[in-house]
Amino acid sequence: MTAPLLEIENLRTYFYSRSKQAFIRAVDGVTLSIARGETLGVVGESGSGKSVTALSITGLVSAGPGVISGAIVFRADGVEHNLLQDLEQYVRLKERDGRIVEASKDEPGWRKAVERLMAPVRGKEIAMIFQSPKSALNPFARVGDQITEAIRLHTRAKGPGEAKERALHWLERVKIDSPRLRFENHPYGLSGGMCQRAVIAMALASEPSLLIADEPTTGLDATIQSEIVGLLAELKTEFGIATLLISHDIRAISRLADNVAVMYGGTVVEHGPAPDVLASRFAPKHPYTTALLASIPSVQNVRDKGYLTVVEGEVPDAVDLPRGCRFYARCNRVTDDVRDKCAQHEPELQEVMPGHHVRCWLYTE
Amino acid sequence: MSGSSRPPIRSKHAARGVAGAVRTSGIAPPVLAADAVKLSALRPVTLVLSRELALTALLLLGVSFVVFVILFLAPGDPFSVLLEGQMPSHEARAGVRDALGVPKTWYVQYVSWLGNLLRGNFGTSIRTGLPVFGEIVRVGLSTLYLTLGSMLVTLLIAVPIALHSSVRGATPLNRPFTLLAYLVSALPVFWLGYVAIYLFSHKLGVFPLVSAASPSADRAWLYSLLPICVLGIGNGTVSEVVRYLREELSRVMAEDYIRTARAKGASVWRHAFKEGLLIPMTEIIASKIPFILGGAVIVEQVFNWPGMGRMAWQAAQDRDFPAIMGIVMIAATLVRLGSLLQRVVYVAVNPRASKQRRGAGWAE
Amino acid sequence: MTRYSQLAGEGRDASDLPVWRSAHTLDLAYVGYGLLIVALVLVSYVLGVFHWLPHDPEQIRFDLLNAPPGSAGHLLGTDFLGRDILSRLIVAIQAYFLPGLVAIVISLVAGTTLGALAGHRGGEVEVLVTYFNNLVDSFPRLVLILLVIAAFKADIYYIMIIVGVTGVPVVASLVAGKIAFLRQKHFIEAAHVLGLPSHVIVLKHILWYHCGPLLVIRATIGMGEAILIETSLSYLGFGVQEPMPSWGNMVQAGANYFFQGKFWPSTAPALAILLTILGFHLLGDGLNSILEDRGGK
Repeated sequence: MTAPLLEIENLRTYFYSRSKQAFIRAVDGVTLSIARGETLGVVGESGSGKSVTALSITGLVSAGPGVISGAIVFRADGVEHNLLQDLEQYVRLKERDGRIVEASKDEPGWRKAVERLMAPVRGKEIAMIFQSPKSALNPFARVGDQITEAIRLHTRAKGPGEAKERALHWLERVKIDSPRLRFENHPYGLSGGMCQRAVIAMALASEPSLLIADEPTTGLDATIQSEIVGLLAELKTEFGIATLLISHDIRAISRLADNVAVMYGGTVVEHGPAPDVLASRFAPKHPYTTALLASIPSVQNVRDKGYLTVVEGEVPDAVDLPRGCRFYARCNRVTDDVRDKCAQHEPELQEVMPGHHVRCWLYTE
Repeated sequence: MSGSSRPPIRSKHAARGVAGAVRTSGIAPPVLAADAVKLSALRPVTLVLSRELALTALLLLGVSFVVFVILFLAPGDPFSVLLEGQMPSHEARAGVRDALGVPKTWYVQYVSWLGNLLRGNFGTSIRTGLPVFGEIVRVGLSTLYLTLGSMLVTLLIAVPIALHSSVRGATPLNRPFTLLAYLVSALPVFWLGYVAIYLFSHKLGVFPLVSAASPSADRAWLYSLLPICVLGIGNGTVSEVVRYLREELSRVMAEDYIRTARAKGASVWRHAFKEGLLIPMTEIIASKIPFILGGAVIVEQVFNWPGMGRMAWQAAQDRDFPAIMGIVMIAATLVRLGSLLQRVVYVAVNPRASKQRRGAGWAE
Repeated sequence: MTRYSQLAGEGRDASDLPVWRSAHTLDLAYVGYGLLIVALVLVSYVLGVFHWLPHDPEQIRFDLLNAPPGSAGHLLGTDFLGRDILSRLIVAIQAYFLPGLVAIVISLVAGTTLGALAGHRGGEVEVLVTYFNNLVDSFPRLVLILLVIAAFKADIYYIMIIVGVTGVPVVASLVAGKIAFLRQKHFIEAAHVLGLPSHVIVLKHILWYHCGPLLVIRATIGMGEAILIETSLSYLGFGVQEPMPSWGNMVQAGANYFFQGKFWPSTAPALAILLTILGFHLLGDGLNSILEDRGGK
């Protein structure tokens, strides 16, 4: 088996609240990997740490302390990039009871190091698209110019004419209407859906190995959402580009993802092939996943129960994380024999079926 | 908001004569559509600019009214003195008021005064007996020179500081620099002027001082260097400019499209420049013009610089209403011109400006 | 190296810390210094009014001309006529203190009213207020003051009225901006629905709770500006006349001696101006910083 394209190991990204004088443990030990051509979907509620994970990969986390531990290996173009190389040199951690209580970080130094590490990768090998496409484009520049900028930076087409040709080509690929007109337009003249198409064109025009899509459909109208998902599905079959798709829209995930990772409270609580994780019945599942799936407004759910189930409780305060399993307080599948363990100790990710891992005491000894 | 197909604009523009002649015949449809986009964007821009012009005129009208009210309400009926001063000299000045018999209403006085103003007749100075307008133009250029020079100095200092502290964030060097800027701003400009004169002219003999006569044109810049620097640094403008630029730049750096540029591996600076530096720079400088003009009054006093500011001081001492009134009008006009220029730059840079209704100005 | 540490006790009550723990030390230093200056000004004002001074500010002593600080019981030395500088500095505060308050009151009251009207009613009222703001902003303040001096007289209170009026646009746009921002939040609608009368909503909820701190900050900065104007005017010869001291005319009077190498008579009042204005500005700035930090978190 070839080495994965992207490997994230035990990533920790913390923020700090000065008014509470405490850490916000946005990403607290995440391990993921994406193979060449694979689409990995990451689901979870707001606050689970999905977006921060994506930003950590490309070094776009600006608030302090930011990324404090972990390893990210990215293999592209025959080169192996360690995106968090020498992080330990810039960070000093102090732990107590297995929890990090103090972090010292040389932020300017690390920022410089990150820029150096990411320079050959950002935009060229890893491309990112975000939610709110209208604000993602520079309002002062023409749409076409923003695409050609990416092309001239990262591909061999350096001349303006050649770059424009390719940009128009990509605008057609993303099925935008009147590509030549849209090329000349400024972003304010485009609708949300069209902007997102342009952003996707911009991202793919540099022919990256990995596309990170952070909530690409959130904020768009419902019909446009499914159009964009359809576009992504088409592009996936056409180009086979590896994708990290972050979304809380389970239907988009089910349509696009090969594998799915479920995040909760800053960690991955379930990880496996999409049909296993998202299929409603057979595979063993994390209680959070089952609750999440049951709460999707769908004909089946409503027919079965007559009402929508809700996941009780709230997302844990990333400041005030509980002692044991992060989901314990909201779990509705706790049984008496695991209750003590759930309350005291956090479970590890266990392989319950080939390729399918769950972090739950119900499935671990 | 799709607006996909646009009707051919060609004929409409040919009818208007606006570049229609250039765009006729032999152009392939896609290019035409692109041109159509550009052309139709032109019209709203000129619309916006003419609206700005009208606003400026309206504001200047208001300024004239305020000046009128102040002079009209002042004891000793200075307004009649003004009006008399606006009469051509061959008419018996003192007798005008009596000769006309019927007391003029305030409305008539205002209109006739304003009419004269618009024709460039600002009346005659009580002190010198010369036409005010000509005097102001003569000295106004010197003050303009000081003003523009000091703006340059302020920007030369403030922009690097703002850039450094915005890009680097909270570095240890940042706070002391800002504190230094505050310190220099709180220094009274007149004292700073004395220190500068003493240091550079008396002790070091570097910059020559202006004597009673105006400096000769070829060495003029040397004489002006010291007052320009003092005005640019000591007036308090620097700290405000630094603060505003830093705020705006930081705000823009946090925008989504800058994040996109970073993720794209593109030069963040190229994207942030327009909204983050260019526009704020023009905005803050335009808004500081009244402040700089006020500072010029003091600096011209310290350096004995023959400008509008010193003329204003003299006029206030002598109760020379026409002179001071003229200066107020000219100064306000300069302020509004600066503001107009800033709006022009804004509209030129911002593609959305022609479509948006100008906000109520709470932006600052 | 930036250090972040979590205080002892996981699962602690997540209530916010008191202001002085969470604010940047530098901001606190600014505020501290500013408050010190305010206190000094107040104390000096009182001292000046009651003439509880170390020396008679007008007493000329030919034997002690331009004495350096510390000579013969003159803490800050004497000026070119042998008069005690410290006493003169203290007395000079009366030149700007009350007039400055007048200016502040005018700009805050008028500015808040206009801003509240514009923000609350919107539409034509807003357009009118904007026009008014732009109109007032078109005048360089010093030049306008010179006009008033030429037309009326060089009375400091007339002048401070002008200063107050020219300070209205800033306050008005601050208040209107705040209201426009808060309108988006739903509690205003909720209050309307609950039946609270308009003026209660505006006065209590918006102005007091939200604009209060902003206005205090504006007041500090306004005082700094008033001091600057008063000293500039008296430097130009339009304010308090000799032998009555004002920091401005003290600098002007000492200017001749400056070039003879006797810096102190000019520099002492200049330093007073510097430190005082700095104090007010830093106070406003520090408070603003602290406010933003708290609001953000």
